Amino acid sequence: MSAPFKTAGLLKNLMAKYYAKGEENRKSGIPVAWVTAVFPVEIIYAMDIFPYYPENFGALGAARKVADKLSEYAERRGYFNDLCGYARCGIGDAYATDHPVGNILPPDLLVCCNTQCGSLPKWFEAAGRYYNAPYFLLDSPLIEDQVSPLGKNYFIDQLWEMVDFLERTTGKKFEMERLVEVLKLASEATQLWNDCLDTAALKPAPFGFFDACFHMAPIVTWRGTQTAVDYYMALKEELDERVAKGITAIPNERFKIYFDHIPVWPRLRWFSDLFAANDALVVASQYTHSWAHKFDVSRPMESLAEVYTEQFVNRGFEYRIKLKMDFMKRYKCDGFVLFSNRSCKPNSFGLYDKRQVITERTGKPGVVFEADMSDQRFFSEGQIQIRLEAFFERLRKDQ
Amino acid sequence: MAIEQLLARFNAAVAEPYAEAKKRKEQGQKVIGWLPTDVPEELIHAAGAFPVGVLGTNEHIYLADAHLQTWACSLMRGCLEQGLNGNLDFLDGIIIPHTCDTTRMLVGIWRHALSTPYIDNYLMPRQIDRPSARTYLKGELARLKDNLEKCTGKVITNEALKDSINVFNANRTVLRRLYEYHSTNTAVISSRMLYTVIKAAMFMDKAEHTTLVEELLKELANISTSNDKRVRLAISGGVWEPPEILDMIEELGAVVVADDLLTGARYMGPDVIADGDPLDALAVRQLNRIPFGGFDSTTRERRGFLVETAQNAGVQGMVFLHLKFCEPENYDYNDMREAMNKAGIPNIRLETEYANTSLGQARTRLQAFIEMMGGSK
Ligand code: SF4
Ligand code: SF4
Repeated sequence: MSAPFKTAGLLKNLMAKYYAKGEENRKSGIPVAWVTAVFPVEIIYAMDIFPYYPENFGALGAARKVADKLSEYAERRGYFNDLCGYARCGIGDAYATDHPVGNILPPDLLVCCNTQCGSLPKWFEAAGRYYNAPYFLLDSPLIEDQVSPLGKNYFIDQLWEMVDFLERTTGKKFEMERLVEVLKLASEATQLWNDCLDTAALKPAPFGFFDACFHMAPIVTWRGTQTAVDYYMALKEELDERVAKGITAIPNERFKIYFDHIPVWPRLRWFSDLFAANDALVVASQYTHSWAHKFDVSRPMESLAEVYTEQFVNRGFEYRIKLKMDFMKRYKCDGFVLFSNRSCKPNSFGLYDKRQVITERTGKPGVVFEADMSDQRFFSEGQIQIRLEAFFERLRKDQ
Repeated sequence: MAIEQLLARFNAAVAEPYAEAKKRKEQGQKVIGWLPTDVPEELIHAAGAFPVGVLGTNEHIYLADAHLQTWACSLMRGCLEQGLNGNLDFLDGIIIPHTCDTTRMLVGIWRHALSTPYIDNYLMPRQIDRPSARTYLKGELARLKDNLEKCTGKVITNEALKDSINVFNANRTVLRRLYEYHSTNTAVISSRMLYTVIKAAMFMDKAEHTTLVEELLKELANISTSNDKRVRLAISGGVWEPPEILDMIEELGAVVVADDLLTGARYMGPDVIADGDPLDALAVRQLNRIPFGGFDSTTRERRGFLVETAQNAGVQGMVFLHLKFCEPENYDYNDMREAMNKAGIPNIRLETEYANTSLGQARTRLQAFIEMMGGSK
């Protein structure tokens, strides 16, 4: 990872404030809604409801290396350790007697979009029962091939059903003008985020995927607010400064790598060190690019439906291959690493074939490794290191 | 036909699941396979094609491992295995439903690794309580209908679809009658046999299957045994696999009289009421199916439904039979168990796989469970 960013301090403060705000808000009568990462949160912000991201809580537990501890509480209730690690963290914390990353914030209501996966709705269903809070699912059928009006219209219908649900359960009013304002702010922030990500294409680059994993919290949680815009403005400025001064993400950048998908949170440092030691910088991932979209504020609901249903997480096999190849081209990658993440079936199933196809079509070497994004019980360091070393060896040979 | 002969027919169909489909194929009929669960077979039938269930394999899985992680459920690994080892080469098409993330991703792998001429997915809505679900589902069924027409070269008329719906309704009706019969006369045919008859419907010609079940019911009408003292159990889960698990339950002194399995009660589900638009009628049937692990309904919650089912069937215990790595079941389990406990229904969870499972441990636990309820053998 790069030398510490000035904005890192800012981020830490912001996140601390965000976590503190949850309880405060509830006390002052602002409802807390659990939401999912790829979800039209813009509507939630437009209605002055507080969005809380239980996935973030899971990632935090994972990064602090306590996911397995929290998971054990869930496992005692009969949840198996092969479920999504975020869900296990969240469910585990609800039943836990000690809270190494603080308490997960109980919801007043839960709104879930299944564009990402089927784990989130199952987790939210269970949480809705546990917290006795109303639950709403925004259903987004897979776009296997072509975008069709069928799925989009279904989603738009549901956005209105959701507005109705939110008004009924919270007593708050939805106003289109407010949504338009929020969408503008969201577009601004996502655009800035995109610019930051793009600096990874420079050679040598001031910023890479592991940095992006750290700096992405605000684009997930605060897109739609001025806070996110300010944050990415500051980050962009700092990156420009780094470019001017010649500060690079790793000391000797020789290779650029595409990485799929989520990082192994408790081993983020280990991975970034290993890549750096091999003069390889991970420069792109579909994961960090998930929030680099733009809204058309002249058609708010349609635009929300398009952005959230046409995300790669809701796409079929071929689209995902093409997306990875596009990233590899845009960021001039020399090879790719695919993470078969035991926690995340939707992003892992199909990777074995994709690895082969991408190498056939691009001629670039790629590797698949097995682990879990949060749970270190499934991390076998030696095996992964051998795989990656062999991959780096290939890169050196190819160059 | 005598009862034994009839049962032998069903057993044969399940032992050679693709025999009838292959025969049809040789006779020039198109054959479309479907994976569990909920694929509207009526549409396939109405297109003049033969629908056949692809339900995994109890044989060793190894070819699939190159394409699908071993931490996918053995049901889907087994389906893919059969595609890869050539067992499904006779298919003109396959429809893979979106039941969970595994089936959602399997479509792409299937397209890449296999050359089945027509591959589609059935994207059922994942919520069923709001008006949008019905509108969408009608559109989705229309899409499937179009694609099936292209695949078979035959237009699916409303009349043909209504006829097919009648064929399937008739089949569901006789299956439900058999199910009810078995619930009161548990000693006549075994639990495994009951479920074999249901499963056979997924492989046989529907009309022929209906006739055979009717004959069976006629034969059974003369026999009644209300004096079975064995423990009455319900099963909840996806599939009754491996099949020996049902034998084991009976050997240990219990019988299965209720379930919510995909290869059980869910298959017999509600009839299609086809007075008006048949596609709308198919949509309504889908929305009214019994709850399952895929998604919960806020108006008809699964665990409440299970308690009710168990109580109505007068069972003494509930067996949660879950396939290893099946996420939907695992997410539901804690709350289902709590609901059972609250209702005073003893329950146990067994985790199985299609193949290579040693059932030794399951036997020990089941034995203790059944003995606790006063049964033994
Ligand atoms: S990690 Fe994967 S399974 Fe878990 S919430 Fe995210 S998308 Fe869903
Ligand atoms: S619902 Fe469960 S058993 Fe069925 S395909 Fe999905 S994981 Fe496998």
